[in-house]
Amino acid sequence: MIYRVKQVLKYLAGTDIAGRTMAVYPDDTFIVSYPRSGNTWTRFLIANLLHPEEPATFFNIERWVPDSEAQSSRYLKRVPRPRVIKSHQYFDHRFKRIVYIVRDPRDVALSYYDFQRKYRQIHDEYPLTRYVSDFVAGRLSSASWGTWRENVGSWISARGGQSGFLLLRYEDMIADTESELSKVAVFLGVNATPQTLSQTVQRSSAERLRSLEKIQGEQWVSTKNKRSDIPFVRTAVAGGWRTKLPESSVSEIETAWAPLMVKLGYELVTISVGYTPEALATGLQRERR
Amino acid sequence: MLGHIKAGFRRMLGLHHPGRNLLVYPDDVFIVSYPKSGNTWTRFLIANLLHPEIQTDFGNINELIPDPEALSKRKMDAMPRPRVIKSHQYFDPRYPKVVYIVRDPRDVAVSQYHFHRKRRMIEDNFPIERFVTRFVAGATSPYASWGENVGSWLATRYQASTFLFLRYEDLVSETIPELSRLVSFLGRNPDPVLLAQAAERSSADQMRKLENAQSGLWSSTRKTRQDVPFVRSAKAGGWKSELPKNSVAELEAAWGSLMTSLGYELASDEKSSTQGFRFTASVLGGAAR
Repeated sequence: MIYRVKQVLKYLAGTDIAGRTMAVYPDDTFIVSYPRSGNTWTRFLIANLLHPEEPATFFNIERWVPDSEAQSSRYLKRVPRPRVIKSHQYFDHRFKRIVYIVRDPRDVALSYYDFQRKYRQIHDEYPLTRYVSDFVAGRLSSASWGTWRENVGSWISARGGQSGFLLLRYEDMIADTESELSKVAVFLGVNATPQTLSQTVQRSSAERLRSLEKIQGEQWVSTKNKRSDIPFVRTAVAGGWRTKLPESSVSEIETAWAPLMVKLGYELVTISVGYTPEALATGLQRERR
Repeated sequence: MLGHIKAGFRRMLGLHHPGRNLLVYPDDVFIVSYPKSGNTWTRFLIANLLHPEIQTDFGNINELIPDPEALSKRKMDAMPRPRVIKSHQYFDPRYPKVVYIVRDPRDVAVSQYHFHRKRRMIEDNFPIERFVTRFVAGATSPYASWGENVGSWLATRYQASTFLFLRYEDLVSETIPELSRLVSFLGRNPDPVLLAQAAERSSADQMRKLENAQSGLWSSTRKTRQDVPFVRSAKAGGWKSELPKNSVAELEAAWGSLMTSLGYELASDEKSSTQGFRFTASVLGGAAR
């Protein structure tokens, strides 16, 4: 009861975390991804693109691209419009303009493992293979995002290919940042010169973010009071799973999410034949019977 | 502000309708569909099966298969468990076990048109063409568009052991076998006598009689036009005579590939639906590739 009274008072005062209940305006743009998929990097890229007058830092990022899952309802209502907002939500029909970033789930699992250690949600000795089983089943201590398949699938199925939806792959962003960034600029209606693009990329580089994290990590809402011996800005590479993820875990992820992974261009290494449309059609008919 | 405070107190006392913010228990089962897709009928079928000792009617349905849009949070939280809950929500990762009913969107559009007349949301002379355009845009329902709702569930849960996928059309033509699958999914033994009794007690004729006698008792029909019935034709394919050709084409242009993969034959030559619906179709493995 005390808890509920506290929640109501917070709600009345507007100091509750915005999250899924936030007020959405028609001119909002959302930067959405599953956690550990390059969302923070994208926030920096967009902040630096929209505000070339002042390089983005962990201090001003919450002003320019606020985190709807870390800031209060009141804070978000006061952000000048049009707002660009960070989110990890699965499909929300109220979001009308979305940049969605998807990343290979085998890399996401590895990154999430370090992240949850950093957040003291799991111990250092927690077996990675067990963690991956949790990850595939959606048993995470931060489980409100759905599983990777659920989060990615819910957005692409509902909005893929429509005009208000820009789908980016983290791997493409790593391979050619400027080219992917220029798509974002077009989507946001920003006229970006090659100089602006390259300056934006530089100001959002992994090295710069790492050095900022060292100085500002204790103040940033997402990293303060967390373990400082594990960095938030990690490797910033694609394909780390090839050397770091046990084969049984790779296989577990691929078995669970093969159709979606194939669809997104993530090559499978433990399943020789993909799910052919014919096989799936047979499966559907079988299920119907 | 006064409204805000009132809402806060209702919330504190648990008197608000929880809707999408329902507290979900791990043993919950959800009966989910887009509105006007056979959800009420399915609720009656299940209620009559699980509670053969009483006749399910519009006065007790909310006690048997509760609706979080119609009952208070307090009541929902205190229901005897395991609960079987009615929902129209698009994908929610917290739902542990889901029966999803899909219906041909051309019939859904017609049915929703009449439902909106019944609820006095549109006049009798409101052009159905205009309604369909709004329907396709998702503007006629708080549960997103038909394609978004269906796609969000299928792309995230299809083929999971905790997900049972039913088509309204199969329920109409093969009521007993489909109901038997549903009962097995709920972990009960499909007893042929009970199945037949439940189908009989939930027939459209029976439900029409109940509606005539009890429409004032039920939240969904109270204070609505009594000359437009809630229990409508209970048939598949009514769109063929009720929907203008251009409205059919509009629906098929939006969701053609998804419809095809669900077994709904297209009347127009339209194949150009968006990437997202093609994607869902390919995850389903239907004819659209």
